[in-house]
Amino acid sequence: MSLTEAQRPNAVRPPREVELGLYRRMRLIRHCEEQLARAHQLGLVHGACHTYVGQEAIAVGVCDHLRPDDVVFSTHRGHGHALAKGMPPVELIAELLGRAAGCSRGRGGSMHLFAPEVGLLGTSGIVGPCILQAAGAGYSFRLLKNDRVAVAFFGDGAVNNGAFHEGLNLAAIWKLPVLFVCENNQFATEVPFAYSAGNPDVAARGAVYGMPGVAVDGNDVLAVRTAAGEAVRRARAGEGPTLLECRTYRTRPHAEGMGDFGYRTREEVEAWKERCPLRQLRDRLIATGVASDRELSAIDAEIEREIDEAYRRAESSPWPDPADAATHVYAEPRTPPAAPGPDTSRSVTWMQATLEALSAEMEANHRIFVLGEGIGKRGGNFRTTAGLYDRFGPERLRDAPISERGFTGLAGGAAMTGTRPVVDFMFADFLLDAVGEVINQIAKMQYMSSGRLKMPVLLRGCIGIGHSAATHHSGSYFPMYAHFPGLRVVVPSNPFDAKGLLHHALRCDDPVFFLEHRELLSLKGPVPEAAYELPFGQAAVVRNGRDVTVVAIALMVQRALQVCDRLAADGISVELIDPRTVAPLDSETILESVARTGRLLIVDETFGPFGLGAEVAARIADEGFDDLDAPIRRLNGVHTPTPYSPPLEAAVVPSVEMIERAIRDLVAE
Amino acid sequence: MAMPITIPRLGWNMEEGTFGGWLRRDGDPVRPGDPLFTLESEKATEEVEGLDAGFLRIPADGPGPGDRLAVGTVIGFVVSTPAESLPSRTGGPAPTATPPADPVASPSVRRLARQHGIDLRKVRGTGPGGRISADDLSPQPASRERERPEQPRSSPRARRVARELGIDWTTIAGSGRNGRVRERDVRTAGGSQPGIGVVPLSPIRRTIATRMLESLRTTAPVTLTTTADATNLVNLREQFRAAADGPAAPSFTDFVVKLAAVALAKHPHLGGQWTDQGIRLLSGIHIGIAVDTEAGLLVPVVRDVPSLGLRQLAARTRELIGRARTGRVAAADMQGSCFTVSNLGAYGIDAFTPIINPPECAVLGVGRIAKRPAVVGDGVVPRDQVTLSLTFDHRIVDGGPAARFLQTLAQAVENPAPWVIS
Repeated sequence: MSLTEAQRPNAVRPPREVELGLYRRMRLIRHCEEQLARAHQLGLVHGACHTYVGQEAIAVGVCDHLRPDDVVFSTHRGHGHALAKGMPPVELIAELLGRAAGCSRGRGGSMHLFAPEVGLLGTSGIVGPCILQAAGAGYSFRLLKNDRVAVAFFGDGAVNNGAFHEGLNLAAIWKLPVLFVCENNQFATEVPFAYSAGNPDVAARGAVYGMPGVAVDGNDVLAVRTAAGEAVRRARAGEGPTLLECRTYRTRPHAEGMGDFGYRTREEVEAWKERCPLRQLRDRLIATGVASDRELSAIDAEIEREIDEAYRRAESSPWPDPADAATHVYAEPRTPPAAPGPDTSRSVTWMQATLEALSAEMEANHRIFVLGEGIGKRGGNFRTTAGLYDRFGPERLRDAPISERGFTGLAGGAAMTGTRPVVDFMFADFLLDAVGEVINQIAKMQYMSSGRLKMPVLLRGCIGIGHSAATHHSGSYFPMYAHFPGLRVVVPSNPFDAKGLLHHALRCDDPVFFLEHRELLSLKGPVPEAAYELPFGQAAVVRNGRDVTVVAIALMVQRALQVCDRLAADGISVELIDPRTVAPLDSETILESVARTGRLLIVDETFGPFGLGAEVAARIADEGFDDLDAPIRRLNGVHTPTPYSPPLEAAVVPSVEMIERAIRDLVAE
Repeated sequence: MAMPITIPRLGWNMEEGTFGGWLRRDGDPVRPGDPLFTLESEKATEEVEGLDAGFLRIPADGPGPGDRLAVGTVIGFVVSTPAESLPSRTGGPAPTATPPADPVASPSVRRLARQHGIDLRKVRGTGPGGRISADDLSPQPASRERERPEQPRSSPRARRVARELGIDWTTIAGSGRNGRVRERDVRTAGGSQPGIGVVPLSPIRRTIATRMLESLRTTAPVTLTTTADATNLVNLREQFRAAADGPAAPSFTDFVVKLAAVALAKHPHLGGQWTDQGIRLLSGIHIGIAVDTEAGLLVPVVRDVPSLGLRQLAARTRELIGRARTGRVAAADMQGSCFTVSNLGAYGIDAFTPIINPPECAVLGVGRIAKRPAVVGDGVVPRDQVTLSLTFDHRIVDGGPAARFLQTLAQAVENPAPWVIS
């Protein structure tokens, strides 16, 4: 693509103060990086250290157009972006030295920098998510009807990643105010881009998604600034996203301490050092009479003093308190008012009950929007959003392409910027394509930002085996999500609980999985019409009993309930407990029950190994050992992908008869 | 100003590297990015670049090729003028002390060693690199494991309940799978069923419990039993009954109380009391009668039994028993006895081991009077017989005097008339 007028080096020059400002910020990044490289050599940087040396013109040229309320998402090589967006150097240095004064309070290090106060919404050790998060921020700004813009900085390595494809497409179809800035430094770690890309022209890919793609010399800060200026203008004006390819080169190794010449030559590095963006700008400022060598040297000296002072302060600042190592995993929990009892005068289905909750919350909170396939006009595959499109419109009922990773990652970015996305992923199996976004980004974001970002993402969809849906529409997987810190995992068993828990989920500041068993969706039950909340982490004692405690989840609660009646006839009294949420898990209620019965069976249709039963059993064996009068038993679905044929399918799910046998067997222990 | 040149960390995990050699000479001018020395890590040998411009200074005591150096060790300097003096010493982080090498052994071997108290440092390993195998420990441990006798099984809850009830669960037969002792087994053995509820303790129950335990704790009880022919006693009582014109005839208990007073008069030590100063012998013969009431066991006392005629005695006991069963017996009525009679014959009991009523020396258990075959001359004839059980405190009297007391009493039972008709 040919250079536009604006991209020529001799295009209209910015005012002198702007040029000196660019120089000052580039110089600051360079000196700060050199100090950090030195600290790494001394062993004072405890983990990785990825410097931005050689690429300073890009962060500085782009961020020159950004307001404090605009947001930046960045990569493992993010020191420069953080400083260019306005992070005080002392916070960056302290973070790499592992100190409490660090921008992430010692939780992040080089690759996980956060400064929401200045619009740095994070750098990431994973390649790609920043693209989706920037799109999500853009979505928030559209929904909230302001003119803020979001910027994703990423390397050439990211453009061969699915996040690039999904993120750019989503931003294009929804015209989101986003700049996608590819810093093409020609190596993804040590793999050459020329080798990785069938078409090594990144800017050309913009056209594929229907957005402008602009290539500039990434070592020319004025060229970058000019191109970014147009892209930011477009975004603010509602004209949509731009892809900016800034061609550059990092002149230090991928990470400090790594060898640099197995994959590139010393001569090549030396040649790029000659094109140092900082020196180019300095020479030009002198040549064009903007500043004298003496003036610039004075700036250099001032910056050195500033960074040295910042380093001294960072190094003398205290270490974080180990007692706080696990704070900020979750937001402060709210205590909702007590819920009413089930309204026996009114019986509705699960679908109706949850639709009431979603509808009421969307009415009350304009920041809630739903993302998913077919949740717009169609009203959802399971009627989860029936009628809402007509009430709330397309921006809040957003039909998505089949881009699970894309729209889930986007939801994360939206939550980070003040909206409350509901990802309606239809089947739990579909979301597996987006697990990295959920676990590496959404679940960790509150912690990594030391509680300064909230992550109110609701992840909603169907689980469970039934109706010959076979293995790509029958998964549950909730034990896996409960394994990770940072997530709430809700698995209700009846319409009353589902409605109350969904209301609570939509007012909770943590990411919440709301998982609905497909065989329960048409189950009817008593449900009050008015809104009410049921808190997380409080199990329900579904049935009181004396002889054996049965913990069941989702559909298994309903099956176990039938068994209770059968066994009561034989004088076996079953106490049935439904945890309702598996994260947090209320083991206290189970413990109290086992203290009375001495016997515990956990019934769960999901896989046994490392599952809910394993967790409950371990906790009760630990805390309730002396109360146990028999071994703890688990009854799980068979550890196999779900088969299609009805007799095969029935064989892999615990049936009423199997539950009954398991209880009788346990009582005989 | 001298800028230190340090051993950098190559990659995340490196703690030390092997110095390869300088690429520049002492005093050479250097620029940032110039390769200064080579360093070997586990992964590769790298040329390490300098960060500063100036003149390289290599101290005389600096490292040589092949030296192992910790990350952060200062090995030289870049100075701004060739003449600049160097800081006094090189070096860096002190090399960390290596802990004494642990013998190489797998976790399972370590566990085995722990279990059998074997110090692995004293074992010579025969495996590769001196690794200690299970065989090196000794041939026994592995086989010992197999020979371990079958242990009784129980659930944790059963063990807890057994602790609470003071029961040795290992003596209980388990009803669970593979004979596992379960909570219900322990409760059955302990006589308590779960879920039936707890009856609160009445003051009488508490007093009885205290006194019974005190008795067992403070006396040295021995029980003697003998069977006496009660035919004459039964006949004599029939005569009283036939002659009764007013209050009912004396009961068997009344007869036994009267006869016991006779035996006590002949063997006063059986009515004595233990004190640390000596055996205290009492002046009067006051005898307690064990009475089963709804509230629990009560022992009202008949005073000065020798002074009472049998009819007077019968009237007195009837009154005391009536008061005890209706809860109107006074505390004074239950004090001062030197001996107790407990008659369980009405319930079909033949013999038992009564517990001494402290501070008394002895207690007499009276069994059922029933016709049993007796050898008289060369024939077997039916005779009324009764078993007498005497529990005495061996601290106060020995077996001989106690046996003689019981013999006297048995003879009096067999021929009661001279003793009751005064």
